[in-house]
Amino acid sequence: MRPVLKVIAVAGLTGLVAHFGVMLATPYKLMDVAMSRIRGPANRSNVWVHLPRTTEAARMVVRPSPDLAYSSCAYDLSNGPVLVQAAAWKDYMSVSVYQANSDNIYVANDRLHPDGVAFVLVRRGRPHPPTPLPVVESPSRRGIVLERRLAPTAEAFNRAAAARRNDLCTPFQG
Amino acid sequence: MAARIGAAVFVAAAVGATMGAGSSLVLLNNLGSLGRESIHGWLYNRNAGSSAADPYDRAMIAKSGLLALTRGEAIYFQRSRDERGRPLDAACRYEVTGGSLPSRWWSLTIYADDDFLPVNGDDAEAMDATRTRRRPDGSWVVEVSAKHPPSPDWISSRNAGKFSLALRMYNPNPGAAEHPQSIPLPTLHTVSCQGAAA
Repeated sequence: MRPVLKVIAVAGLTGLVAHFGVMLATPYKLMDVAMSRIRGPANRSNVWVHLPRTTEAARMVVRPSPDLAYSSCAYDLSNGPVLVQAAAWKDYMSVSVYQANSDNIYVANDRLHPDGVAFVLVRRGRPHPPTPLPVVESPSRRGIVLERRLAPTAEAFNRAAAARRNDLCTPFQG
Repeated sequence: MAARIGAAVFVAAAVGATMGAGSSLVLLNNLGSLGRESIHGWLYNRNAGSSAADPYDRAMIAKSGLLALTRGEAIYFQRSRDERGRPLDAACRYEVTGGSLPSRWWSLTIYADDDFLPVNGDDAEAMDATRTRRRPDGSWVVEVSAKHPPSPDWISSRNAGKFSLALRMYNPNPGAAEHPQSIPLPTLHTVSCQGAAA
């Protein structure tokens, strides 16, 4: 290959690799930032963080809805499955799981689960624990569980805060 | 000679990497509409939250709507331009008019150009299906402006600069997510702009 063609080929190839590398890495990086914020300074995984009512000061995740009461849990399956529970809510409520690349891999809502949501999160390919609860497989070791409860007023938010007080995101004890 | 070629290859690799990475960042920061359908002025991405999203979709969604739900659970529309294609601007007054939407619940929320709620102390960032007053024909009107109008159905754009509106529809009716063009989306009308004709 002539030297000039070689130089052009190298530039083109590294350009393509860098372009797709940045595009592929962006969701992982943004999820890392979100998980780090959820874990907080104490770096706590596998525990619900109940967020205060969304106001203009909210900076945890882009485009928050001020009509929803959010709880988030940065999960880490390194040491085994995680139990997720959310108490019943008389209005819209959902619990959703996002793997490390930001894909929403599971969602359960109050219509399908009027008595509340409960499931065990395991790493894909690992043995399922003995449990009557649904088992959700995560393709990634880490990710985010997000709970949404419709609470468009301060009164509704206070009720949601009371309802979620005993929700669980915790290592599964078989 | 070999050393010169080696140096040229090194420089070419550096230039290529910089341009490749830079082109991704330019796309992510300036082409938010890439991959989205435009329906009556609202942008919709049917792959939000989905494992079916391609790398471009996934990166765009992560940047502007991280932790989105898949369309079976919720569908999201975004609007950043008025009925004549001009950027939505806090210097203008807008009326958003709609009717019943095919979902269990919906909300309309304003975001400043940093994708967060505008910081203005007005506590008027959103209206939703439970609070919006209905006219006798079932329709509703929300004013989006920097000053509180006589109507309580108001979203404050004060300090929002060039902003966008997000329409969220939770538990959409069967068919709505698959055929978003069938949804009777709200219309936006520019009432006036400071220092200019609407």
